[in-house]
Amino acid sequence: MTLQTAPSRNASAETTVSVLASVMDVAAAEWLKLRTMRAAWVVWAGAAVSTLIGLIIIMGHVGSYDQATPGQQASFESADPAVAVMPLVAFFIGTLSALVMTTEFSTGSIAPSLVAVPQRRTLLAAKSVVVTCVALAGGVLFASLSQIGAMLILGDRPAPLNPWTHWWEAVPPAAGTAVTTLATGLVALGLGAVLRSAAATVAVIGALTLVVPMFAHVLPEPVHLWVASVLIPNLAPQIAGAESAYLLAPPVAAAVLAFYVVVTLGAASLSFSRRDS
Amino acid sequence: MIEVRELTKRYGPTLALDRLSFQAHPGRVTGFLGPNGAGKSTTLRVIVGLHGPTSGVALVNGRRYAEISRPLYEVGALLDAGAVHPGRTAFKQLACLARSHRIGTSRVKTLLEQVGLQDVAHKRIGGFSLGMRQRLGIAAALLGDPGVVLLDEPVNGLDAEGIHWVRGLMRTLASEGRTVLLSSHLMSEMALTVDHVLIIGRGRLIAESSMEDLAKRFRRDILVRSPMHVELGGVLRAAGMSVSSEPRGGLVVTGSDTATIGDLAAERRIPIHELTQRSATLEDVYLEMTDEAADYRAGGRRSL
Repeated sequence: MTLQTAPSRNASAETTVSVLASVMDVAAAEWLKLRTMRAAWVVWAGAAVSTLIGLIIIMGHVGSYDQATPGQQASFESADPAVAVMPLVAFFIGTLSALVMTTEFSTGSIAPSLVAVPQRRTLLAAKSVVVTCVALAGGVLFASLSQIGAMLILGDRPAPLNPWTHWWEAVPPAAGTAVTTLATGLVALGLGAVLRSAAATVAVIGALTLVVPMFAHVLPEPVHLWVASVLIPNLAPQIAGAESAYLLAPPVAAAVLAFYVVVTLGAASLSFSRRDS
Repeated sequence: MIEVRELTKRYGPTLALDRLSFQAHPGRVTGFLGPNGAGKSTTLRVIVGLHGPTSGVALVNGRRYAEISRPLYEVGALLDAGAVHPGRTAFKQLACLARSHRIGTSRVKTLLEQVGLQDVAHKRIGGFSLGMRQRLGIAAALLGDPGVVLLDEPVNGLDAEGIHWVRGLMRTLASEGRTVLLSSHLMSEMALTVDHVLIIGRGRLIAESSMEDLAKRFRRDILVRSPMHVELGGVLRAAGMSVSSEPRGGLVVTGSDTATIGDLAAERRIPIHELTQRSATLEDVYLEMTDEAADYRAGGRRSL
């Protein structure tokens, strides 16, 4: 058997390939990997189902509102999908982002990946590009769907049940939740690179997006507010400048969110580039 | 060319590589031979940058692997055929690697045909046998048409036809001027495939030799069979050779060569039924050389 020779390459030209072009080529390969990972489609389905369930919960909440007396209606919680839907969506997007890294370790395919791309920071950067695109697109998609669904369910019912007087008032909170979903994805990717285990990473992401925000309520005031204000899901309304009980101004909230991303990706960069694979 | 200089790798208290040095040159198949746990796989993983050395250096074409931009054009490696995503198809597995180097899908198709996986190209790897995964791994190693090829135990799981194919492929790659480094723990496999052998044990280089020289160094004795073995024994002893009998009636002779024995027998009109130069088998040689260095063996761990 003889081998057919691939087109010859100019070695010096190869060495001058820009880092950016290299990252984009590797990102294209990572995108192909994600598309061909069956678990990714399961996670997307999970995010879609959780959106649907969240809207059904809002529907039930609106049904209770309709049967309540005017006095009771005045004290109803707002039917905000940022609370009912998006934390679960962020958890699923975070899980998907973690799998971008942890699947490689669990299957051992990190070895051929690193043989192809031995510059580990380039590989991490390429994975970050893919996660950024996917998490932002997922965040925008599900935030928009849940806001539109909630608007259709709420109709012309007034505040406090309806969080918006006009449709455009829903845009900043939707953008805020899309951004926090993106950050959740990047944090999950970074944790995946450090922990190298899907189970451990998903557990931490579940704690950050669902469990800790829920249990923060049991803390005494004002500790509860301090803690709750810096939790990732609660940063969404603060970044959007929406009315909330939390403490941070939009720029500070954005800085806290960026801190989460920088710390986890920084730890990932150190761990990924220094540890044996 | 691959050059390893004073390479040491320590995992906690375990010393996996101990100042290992060797070179693998273009145009020949270099065998990397050693018992289980000798450090073969560790060495290959350090060469391609998966593991960092504790000290020393491993260079490919004069550079550390991580310094090579788009390395698949220079180096192809099969380290573990099972290290693939089982849910991905063979075609997509190669396409993912190819995309990072702007290698087209036509090259992927060609390679899948060359390794005999064209009929299962769009089947998930999870259903592949070990032999099929080995073929896929070899295809991945050849994606960029590299000048340096490293293969860790590539014939594991292959059937007879597959083993024959890998041997032919290694010879072809070397004849094209490529550097081929092939690891195995099977001396018999090495004997049929490689030009030059590096034998390691406990992370150290035990021996380095061409296969031919290795076989010569362990030539042993000559077996002679004759219906007149008593007379022949006397003649050979008279000629100064050391002669002993073997259980099946043959004579075992040392201190001469087959031509001299044949000539002496012909002069005395003694018929010869067998005249064989006996060497230690390469397997024997290997076991002898690695005896001190085998970490794991049946019957318990060897004491130091």
